[in-house]
Amino acid sequence: MKQSYTLDEYNSARSVVGDTITALAAKDNRVWLLTPDIGFGCKDFKEQYPDRFIDTGIAEQNVVGVSSGLAYDGNIPFIIGMMPFMSMRALEQVRTDVCYPNLPVRIIANYAGLTGNGGSTHYAMEDMALYSSLVNMTVCAASDPVQLRQIIEKSLDYEGPLSIRIDPGKENRILYTDDANFEIGKGYTARDGEDITVIACGEMVSYALGLHEEAKKLGISVRVIDMFTVKPLDEELVLKAAKETGRLIVWEDHLMKNGLASAVADTLCDHGVSPKSFKRFGVPQVYPGFGSAEELYHLYGYDLEAVLSYVKELFGK
Amino acid sequence: MADKKEVLRLQELAYNVRANLCKLCGGYDGNIHMGGDMSMIDILTCLFHHTMKVGPELAQDPKRDRFILSKGHGAACMYVIMAQKGYFTYEEICETYGQVGSKFGQHPCKTRLPMLEASTGSLGHGLPISVGLAASAKQKGENHRVFCMMGDGETCEGSVWEAAMTARALKLGNLVAVVDRNHQLMTSFSEDSVMMDPYVDKWKAFGWNAVEIQDGNDMRQIVKALDSLPDAGSQVPTVVIANTVKGKGISFMERQIKWHAGSLNEKDLKTAMEDLDKMIEEQRKEQV
Repeated sequence: MKQSYTLDEYNSARSVVGDTITALAAKDNRVWLLTPDIGFGCKDFKEQYPDRFIDTGIAEQNVVGVSSGLAYDGNIPFIIGMMPFMSMRALEQVRTDVCYPNLPVRIIANYAGLTGNGGSTHYAMEDMALYSSLVNMTVCAASDPVQLRQIIEKSLDYEGPLSIRIDPGKENRILYTDDANFEIGKGYTARDGEDITVIACGEMVSYALGLHEEAKKLGISVRVIDMFTVKPLDEELVLKAAKETGRLIVWEDHLMKNGLASAVADTLCDHGVSPKSFKRFGVPQVYPGFGSAEELYHLYGYDLEAVLSYVKELFGK
Repeated sequence: MADKKEVLRLQELAYNVRANLCKLCGGYDGNIHMGGDMSMIDILTCLFHHTMKVGPELAQDPKRDRFILSKGHGAACMYVIMAQKGYFTYEEICETYGQVGSKFGQHPCKTRLPMLEASTGSLGHGLPISVGLAASAKQKGENHRVFCMMGDGETCEGSVWEAAMTARALKLGNLVAVVDRNHQLMTSFSEDSVMMDPYVDKWKAFGWNAVEIQDGNDMRQIVKALDSLPDAGSQVPTVVIANTVKGKGISFMERQIKWHAGSLNEKDLKTAMEDLDKMIEEQRKEQV
């Protein structure tokens, strides 16, 4: 049954972002929170630390520039924004005002991939390619709130700029328990397996865990790596998976070119490693139309059904 | 009325900057942004030598004023003034400018020259950065000012006006933007391409305290304007709009589109130095 909800409630499932940053602000007065009028989960921070909160209005270039100035003066600014605009409208400010001087600005932005429901203006399907191109930038894609909280907490002592793409968050999917440990720059082996490895990030990790279960019923053992840090890539974990399972799938809610799959392919190529098979699932070269993320994943051939079908064929099941 | 002696002191310093910049340009086989350097030299000299609390001895002092050269292509001019202040020597600039491994190049690089407040050069970036610096100072209860030097051409960038709105909303009375209004872009006279006027009113409409200097190459007017800044603890950011002449002081550069940037041969350098000598002689006479 359909329920009514406001945009604020829709976005508030990601209150883990606001809650975590507010908690950090309590123990570290270098923490600032800025937003270009997105501000999901900012309410508590704004009430408790009004002198360290800035809403620039709908002005992504400005919010990055102001954050740069704050960081030059020794602060740690967190920006909560929308990824299509943080990665494209403000790209030059991110590159020149944040990455060039290697400042600790943290960009947390929703509407990752096709999760925005807004049509192609509001899909972030190039962001990992663009941000990965920036020297000094660390690029993360969070798959669940437990992981997201840890990335945000650990970012406090992390050198240089860092970005995290997240989905809008109505479905606040919990994949991990609190004892899971996520280190920025390291992949996380969510499920072990021997026959094939799925390297996924962000929204696609929950589907990869579903694939693990479905494939198990068919006697296929699927390793699932949650590659929540896309740059710098955990090359060791990629090479180990290629060596131990032979076959690789890379699954991302992003253009299949220049995102996670390309980073994995670079690693294999650079090390002269040739897996038995290598398959990408993600957004093809299109500007997707409207629909829910699930519908679009199906339409563009990277939902669970499509990947399971590929795996079945690969193993003759 | 600005003190005559002080005005002449600053004029002599500005003369020295112009001359040293021309010599640097004469000795360097590459483009230096002479046009926009010459237009802002007087106001930049006043800022560094009269208005701002800055200097090598204050480089690590949290109470120092902050200066952001948003029109980063004016780096050479700023280096020469910084050398006057004793941050480094003029000779070091001349010997290494634009070379591999140098601290000094076409746009200011904080990575190479750590005593800068920021790396700049992409236009329209400096004011947002300055807003961040000013907001930080205010939050920490510090009383220093943040000065941001822009060219009028760069205020075509929308990010300048985004930052102008934020600065007003945050009540950043410690922020002073200075616009070198030389009425020229790189390839045209500004009013032929974009309608900037009524320029002062635009800033007023954004809620700023807008101060216009009729002749932004007249040191008396500059000193007067910069001596009258509101208290850093006030609630409204200030913009000083200095009407200047691009290429000021060099006969063959003044108001010439082609002299946005360039290099000087021996003959042109000689002419330039003669022009500058004439200018300072007149200024000396006026101040007696």
